Amino acid sequence: MKDKLMTMRDECLDAIAQAGSEQTLEETRLKFLGKKGELTSILKLLGKLPPEERKETGMLANQVKNQLTEALEAREQALIAEKSVVDGEFDLTVPGVMPESGSLHPITQMCYDLNDAFHSMGFEVFSEDEITSELYGFDHLNFPPAHPARESMDTYWLEGSENETGAKRLCLRPHLTGASVRYLKEHGAPARFVYPGRVYRNENTDARHERAFFQYEALIVDRDFSFASGKLLVKTILDKVFGRDVDVRMRAGFFPFVEPGFEIDMKCLVCGGKGCRVCKHVGWIEVMPGGTPHPNVLKAASLDPLEWSGFYINVGLDRLVMMRTGVDDVRMFHSADLRFLSQFK
Amino acid sequence: MKFSYNWIREYVDLPAELSMKQLSYDLTMRTVEVEDTENLAEALDQVVIGVIKAVEPHPQADRLAVCKVDVGMPEQAVIVCGGINLAVDQKVAVALPGSMVRWHGEGEPVQVKKAKLRGVESYGMICASSEIGLKDLFPSIDEREIMDLSTFEAEAGTALAEVLLLDDQILEIDNKSMTNRPDLWGHYGIARELAAIYNKPLKPLPTAAVPDQIAGFPVEIDATDRCNRYIAAVYSGLKYEPSPYWLQLKLWKVGLRPINNLVDITNYVMLATGQPTHGFDKDHVDEKIIVRNARSGEKLEMLDSSKLNLSEDDLVICDVNKPMALAGIMGGKSDSILPETTEMILELAKFNPTTTRRSAQRHSMRTEAGVRNEKGVDAERMDQAIGVADQLIEELIPGAKLTAYEDCWPVHVTYPEIEVPLSFLNVRLGRELDFAAVEASLKPLGFEVKVSRRTETDTIFKVIVPSWRGTGDIDLPDDILEEVARMIGYENFDFIPPQIKLDKAIRQRNIETERAVKEYLAFRAGFQEIFTYPWIDDQYLEAAAIDPASCLKLATPPSPETSHLRSSLVPGMLEAIAKNLRYFDSMKIFELTQVFEPGTSNPSEAAETLPLMRRSLAAAVVGKDPVQVFREAKGVIELMPRIVQIEGLSFAQQEKPGWADQKVWLNIMAGDQVIGTLALLSVQTMHAADIRKTMAAVIELDLEKLEPLPSRENKYQPLPQLPLVEQDFSILVDRTVKWQEIEELISGMVKRCAFVEEYSGKQVPEDKKSVMFRVWLGSDTKTLTAEEIDAESQRILNKIRKKLGGEIRHG
Repeated sequence: MKDKLMTMRDECLDAIAQAGSEQTLEETRLKFLGKKGELTSILKLLGKLPPEERKETGMLANQVKNQLTEALEAREQALIAEKSVVDGEFDLTVPGVMPESGSLHPITQMCYDLNDAFHSMGFEVFSEDEITSELYGFDHLNFPPAHPARESMDTYWLEGSENETGAKRLCLRPHLTGASVRYLKEHGAPARFVYPGRVYRNENTDARHERAFFQYEALIVDRDFSFASGKLLVKTILDKVFGRDVDVRMRAGFFPFVEPGFEIDMKCLVCGGKGCRVCKHVGWIEVMPGGTPHPNVLKAASLDPLEWSGFYINVGLDRLVMMRTGVDDVRMFHSADLRFLSQFK
Repeated sequence: MKFSYNWIREYVDLPAELSMKQLSYDLTMRTVEVEDTENLAEALDQVVIGVIKAVEPHPQADRLAVCKVDVGMPEQAVIVCGGINLAVDQKVAVALPGSMVRWHGEGEPVQVKKAKLRGVESYGMICASSEIGLKDLFPSIDEREIMDLSTFEAEAGTALAEVLLLDDQILEIDNKSMTNRPDLWGHYGIARELAAIYNKPLKPLPTAAVPDQIAGFPVEIDATDRCNRYIAAVYSGLKYEPSPYWLQLKLWKVGLRPINNLVDITNYVMLATGQPTHGFDKDHVDEKIIVRNARSGEKLEMLDSSKLNLSEDDLVICDVNKPMALAGIMGGKSDSILPETTEMILELAKFNPTTTRRSAQRHSMRTEAGVRNEKGVDAERMDQAIGVADQLIEELIPGAKLTAYEDCWPVHVTYPEIEVPLSFLNVRLGRELDFAAVEASLKPLGFEVKVSRRTETDTIFKVIVPSWRGTGDIDLPDDILEEVARMIGYENFDFIPPQIKLDKAIRQRNIETERAVKEYLAFRAGFQEIFTYPWIDDQYLEAAAIDPASCLKLATPPSPETSHLRSSLVPGMLEAIAKNLRYFDSMKIFELTQVFEPGTSNPSEAAETLPLMRRSLAAAVVGKDPVQVFREAKGVIELMPRIVQIEGLSFAQQEKPGWADQKVWLNIMAGDQVIGTLALLSVQTMHAADIRKTMAAVIELDLEKLEPLPSRENKYQPLPQLPLVEQDFSILVDRTVKWQEIEELISGMVKRCAFVEEYSGKQVPEDKKSVMFRVWLGSDTKTLTAEEIDAESQRILNKIRKKLGGEIRHG
């Protein structure tokens, strides 16, 4: 009878090991350990044994039962561990279902990136109206009375005001710089703020020229401010745009509303300054003008130029986006073409 | 503008070891941008003088000849050539294999190689002037004419660049960077800057020896506001002929075409000093020179044969009878230098820059003289110019004589003297300077620096500005600061981190709300932001049913049909939808920017009155199903206040805009104020805007009327202690019954209710619709039993039946 038990045990262990599914495992359990299973039929013979053998064989039968129960459980756990919630094949290369997503215009994206960077340094954001007057667009900014930019060849004057002068001659703003005077008049100094926005020039358009484009200006006005501190504004912008420290140089440049004025170059990121086609073999790329606000500009904002100084920069957002993303036609920005815009997430 | 390095070095001895790269860098950092430099000799590498020893016909080609040419090598070179003026003993330019030429003077340069031409091997080529970029210096009449260099003393095999004195570098300077520096528009001005940069002495220019006893020449300036100095120098004994080679070369190198000796002299003076000059044939000048405004209707034929209709806005140089030149821009054809000229009146004058610029613009005449005169000329430079002219005439034309001279100078200008405190310079430059350092920066540029007075803590300088910088360029301490800083070199100033005082955090609710709206639409609601122009095409203005008279207009619009400025973003939205429908049949787009209306606002000061401007939002949901697009757009507005954190919005029908559908429109309300509209585009609007086979729900919202919450608002509601039971109902009601009525009817009876869907069509009687909605039932004190739930449901349905006449489809 012991032999019978052992044989049954071995058969059962074999069957457990071979069971490939929970179902066959259950069938195995019923066959060997179920109410009508083989162990039960063997145990039925137990009573026919002599008492001394009965006890010994009973213990053995219990051991076998425990061993088999453990083996069954272990096998069951192993089968669960191997199991997938999905039956059959599952194609993992089928694309995911994406959340419905719109996006901001690439210029807005750039603008917000820069706002965040300047915000972190305590700059306010200011926005001026798009229609301004000759007073704020030119006079306050130290443009000489006969400056060519004042003519209708260059600026979009409003019908009915085009033959007036100063505060009465209105136009779509030709640049943002006039906003600096508005802000300073309202808030005084010291001040640090950025003022992004769209500006307008009356000119013929091509891949590099637009009638409506975006600028970003930043201005600090403070006491005893050296132009040598102005690099902060430049580097804030370039580091944010290009995601790394960019070498910058400031060289002589002329603009009516700054003194001294600078052309600001960044080291060419393509060749690292060695000279290549992108930088026209100079090693540097002109990125923005800047400088100390001209005393006449500060005076226009009711500030004493002997007391106050500062630094200003103006960068073309369209061009920054073009440099960052490779867009090759500035007119795309106002195309409202969703095939273009949806590329920028 | 182009500058010749050799020419500059006539005025200043620059360091011998100075490279072109270094010079470009220094000039760019301190003064003006050097865009490019060109080594003239390099372009003519491997082009040598050849002497033709034999010319034989080509055996295979009538138009070609086979030349034997001495190119300085042991054996004569055999060169096939199609030139029509080949001759034995002629000196020619030979492009040896390896050199670069332009075929027929066109296209990019290509390398010359040994090659068989119709069976005869040719060792290089004999060049026409256009093939090696020398066409203006050696003009040819026939394109098959080769350059004849027989007049040059040169051994065969000598490099052509050496023989033609082309060992020079040309600097190309960005004109834009010189607009505020009229003094730099001649070689002497650039030489002065370089002398200052490298601390080398600047050589003086010759001065004119005008004899005391010389006769005058009558000059009359009528328009002294447009011309404040006019020098007329009369030279006799002249002879009209080509200039000597060195002069032609000098002009050619900086981009001017040599013409004849007299004209070349005037151009030379301009390129040397920056002062434009002009020559009149004295025989053509009746009585006197008059500088006056042109008369309306006067006509003048110019040197370039263009015929001008003059107006009173033009300034002209005349004699008693006729205009002879457009002042400061170009001479007239009949009275300027002519082949028969023997006596010339040389003009040097200072004209009003604006008058010059406007005349040049009006008549589309961009000339070298005009470009300089419109930047302003200083009186001292005129003295230099007459000196240079006088010396050159004497050198070039033996027998020429200054016979009369008039300097009519009605209006003298004084040049500024500026007081500059040393402390001002030190603080703004961020470094300590002393008198010597300031003087060392300024003196080489021509400024005179004196100590005006000393105080206990400061030294005040008096800086006297030289005439050539007193043309409006320099008149403030800040201008002096710039001169000092650039001479020290901007690259020599280290970054000084600014010290910033922090007193409060920045809170700008308006700006934050605008961004929150944009980000809500783009990131949560799936809209794409677009930009359109502020000037609107009339077609879309009309399509949006906006009265053009209610819009501002541009005086000189981009095109006649885009003269109106937007008073609404809807027309731009229509255009964007119409264009994008070519590629997409559904879309969600928005634009948020300013719109304009007649009216008055004074953002900064009372004297300045601007029109009304406000930020507006337009958004569109475009798709096939009108109910779907409308509900989607409506949901966008319904959720917006919570996400953007603004005061709540509601809907009502009060003012229908012209572009809105007859039935499907709602005003967006802030309290009882209309602040926008949500509507389907009307049939008419869609037709007029070419929007076809689709539906569009458009939102227009006045952004200025959104009221930002002072802080994030989101009140906690305790979670229900007892479970709620969901019940769906589907009822059949008249089509005229509004969801709002159903909602109002049952909302008091349930914890919550929600619209699920509405259906009309098959299986529903024609005047009915099926409305499905869901309610949540529950009690605050106990869990409802099945019987209680049934009873509640019955109560709801009975009420609907009684009040709205609805019937249950299924519950």
